[in-house]
Amino acid sequence: MKKPLFALAAAVLALAQLPALAQSWPARTVKIIVPFPAGGPTDVLTRYLAEKLSTQLGQPVVVENKPGAGGSIGADLVAKSAPDGYTLVMATASTHSIGPYLGKLPYDPVKDFTPVVWVGNATNVLVISNAIPANSVKELIDLARKDPGKLNYATSGIGTISHLTSELFASMAGVKLTHVPYKGTQQSIPDIASGQVAMLFDNIMTAQPNIKAGRVKAIAISSSARSPLVPELPTVSEAGLPGFQSVVWFGLLGPAGLPKPVVDRVNAEMNKTLALPDVKARFAQMGFDQAGGNPASFAQVMQRDAEKWSKVIKDAGVKPE
Amino acid sequence: MELLNNLGLGFSVALAGTNILYCFIGVLLGTLIGVLPGIGPVATIAMLLPTTFVLPPVSALIMLAGIYYGAQYGGSTTAILVNLPGEVSSVVTCLDGYQMARQGKAGKALGVAALGSFFAGSVSTLLIAAFAPPLAEVALKFGPADYFSLMVLGLIAAVVLAHGSLIKAIAMIILGLLIGLVGTDVNSGVARFNFGLPELIDGIGIGPIAMGIFGFGEIIRNLEHTEKREIFTKNVSGLLPNWSDIKQCIPPVLRGTALGSFLGILPGGGAVLGAFSAYTLEKKIAKDPSRFGKGAIEGVAAPESANNAAAQTSFIPLLTLGIPSNPVMALMIGAMIIHGIQPGPQIMTAKPDLFWGMVASMWVGNLMLVILNLPLIGMWVKLLSLPYRLLYPAILIFCCIGVYSISNAWMDVLLAAACGFMGYVFYKLDCEPSPLLLGFVLGPMMEENLRRALLLSRGDPGVFMTRPISATLLVLALLLLILVMAPAIRKKREEAFVEED
Repeated sequence: MKKPLFALAAAVLALAQLPALAQSWPARTVKIIVPFPAGGPTDVLTRYLAEKLSTQLGQPVVVENKPGAGGSIGADLVAKSAPDGYTLVMATASTHSIGPYLGKLPYDPVKDFTPVVWVGNATNVLVISNAIPANSVKELIDLARKDPGKLNYATSGIGTISHLTSELFASMAGVKLTHVPYKGTQQSIPDIASGQVAMLFDNIMTAQPNIKAGRVKAIAISSSARSPLVPELPTVSEAGLPGFQSVVWFGLLGPAGLPKPVVDRVNAEMNKTLALPDVKARFAQMGFDQAGGNPASFAQVMQRDAEKWSKVIKDAGVKPE
Repeated sequence: MELLNNLGLGFSVALAGTNILYCFIGVLLGTLIGVLPGIGPVATIAMLLPTTFVLPPVSALIMLAGIYYGAQYGGSTTAILVNLPGEVSSVVTCLDGYQMARQGKAGKALGVAALGSFFAGSVSTLLIAAFAPPLAEVALKFGPADYFSLMVLGLIAAVVLAHGSLIKAIAMIILGLLIGLVGTDVNSGVARFNFGLPELIDGIGIGPIAMGIFGFGEIIRNLEHTEKREIFTKNVSGLLPNWSDIKQCIPPVLRGTALGSFLGILPGGGAVLGAFSAYTLEKKIAKDPSRFGKGAIEGVAAPESANNAAAQTSFIPLLTLGIPSNPVMALMIGAMIIHGIQPGPQIMTAKPDLFWGMVASMWVGNLMLVILNLPLIGMWVKLLSLPYRLLYPAILIFCCIGVYSISNAWMDVLLAAACGFMGYVFYKLDCEPSPLLLGFVLGPMMEENLRRALLLSRGDPGVFMTRPISATLLVLALLLLILVMAPAIRKKREEAFVEED
């Protein structure tokens, strides 16, 4: 009889402690590390969300940029910080689903982190040069088949999402394309406009001005569903490559061993934030898809994405030479 | 007429009560961070980004833009008075501005810098208004081959710019190129010369290099002569240059404005390149080039006009194409996106009040800067006239904070310290560091574009001569090279550069 009583007492005690811990957090400023430079889409969105979270948590939420090495410097910093809930990272597919398979990183993308909340996805749009005699995914693939290796595709560098998306496209379509890396997708626009480069998978938002000005033509988007930003564009999957999908997830992670009450609190507040009408509108405006959900579903997404990209990396032989 | 209507709309927006206030806050902040070496517009704008969420988009962008061009003004004050570039773009101003200050002409130098900048700012504002759309299309015509040839021209110009020994100038350029190679190679993804350090995978930034070699190096150098005060504050009175100074400065200001305006439009160009090129040009066409580096007023007027013109015209690719030509512009794009504005050609038609309001506010802001700067120079100078033992540690700390805040990396601070030591060694060896900086900036861009051009042409080098823009630039580079090599000119050059310091 004594044992169950003891267990009950322990459980009551634990239950009483839980809200206490959740209530005491946050007692000071919460820092979100953005492992990318200031001004980029991830940074801008995180700064916007941090402002909202600040009011909900009643403590300042500050954003700190720690760019470098494809985001791995910032991610590593969080992996090695104290799991007290005061240091989080806005991670993306680059830091957790791609980077770890490109080369040796100082952190383990799964073991060293606690998933907190999946914030959303960024979609790419496939733009092609006006000088290319193709107006759809099918025509582009036919053109590439006719002359293997003749069509160039631009990317923002080796092992970036734009590179892997193009590799995925080429392998699913069974065509050979020539890779021309740039330091950012915007740099490639003049060469696409002049017809020297045929195609590019570019962020849906940053590509808009060039599409609207008629400098390039958009033929499809990379996600599995159409985007409210460009409802007229088909998905690549609809337009000729069934099953093709490439989106970049981003979400909040903490160091491994983050206390559950903290995880749950951030998760709940972020879900609340995402449901705000003005936040919804801002996401749509910036071309991001909203996600949300519980930490477990976020962990699943991360795992699925890691499997997908590590396979693309292996099959295409993407390795720094 | 349409232009007048548009400008009218712009001024009505820019002069509206709150907007003029935010413009003032922007330029005031800009001047302050410009005067303080190390704290740059990138860090400031990034920190202020969240506070702009609550402002109307026009006010926010007017303020952020004011910080950027305000910093160009402030940067020259520090350059002239303490030989420390307050901003990277005022590196060249140090060369002659500081010498003028040593000769007791600090006031003239500051006055010319402010007035030249104002003139350049006014002209480039008009340029943005009139030519933004067509000029942006010119920049779009530049392909990889053309960029490569532009860099070749730039590097050869860097040799011509250097004073002192030709061999040393070339050696410094090559050293700059080598430092520029550190980091991931765009074409293969291989990390070069990073010694296994993840912090070096993205290469070394221009911040630590410029701040270290020019800033820290200068401080170490000054510590050698403890007894001598090198800040010139006594003779800052008599700010306004007299008529003969103004007459002397009109052509350099005009040339600097033209060159700066053009280079500002090119992605990656911007204020630094504009200032360097304007200085080279003045030195090349001067009757007596030996005066340069010894306090030539043209050597202040031209680069100061150029960097301000370039700072403003670099808004052209941003406003018309949504392409950032430098990190500050990248942040401006971020600021627009957060306000739900897609940067690009549609801004002009979809949000004319924003576009023209910003353009008009630049002119208003420039006027404020002149009014603010001329009387305030006395105050800035007071700030800098603290005793060395207080001033230098303070400057060092500000520099460290500034270098750190570029990308919040401690590695950058260590790099700046190492560069400071290098800068001191260069000074001891009589090696001019400006070519190193140009080699550092242009080298990696040159390699990247060379390999891209060849990748696109499938290995055919003929592409550099068949593209008209590229061919023209290469011919210009060749002419410049012949000019330097020609025995007669070479002799004259050596005479001209028989050393100073």
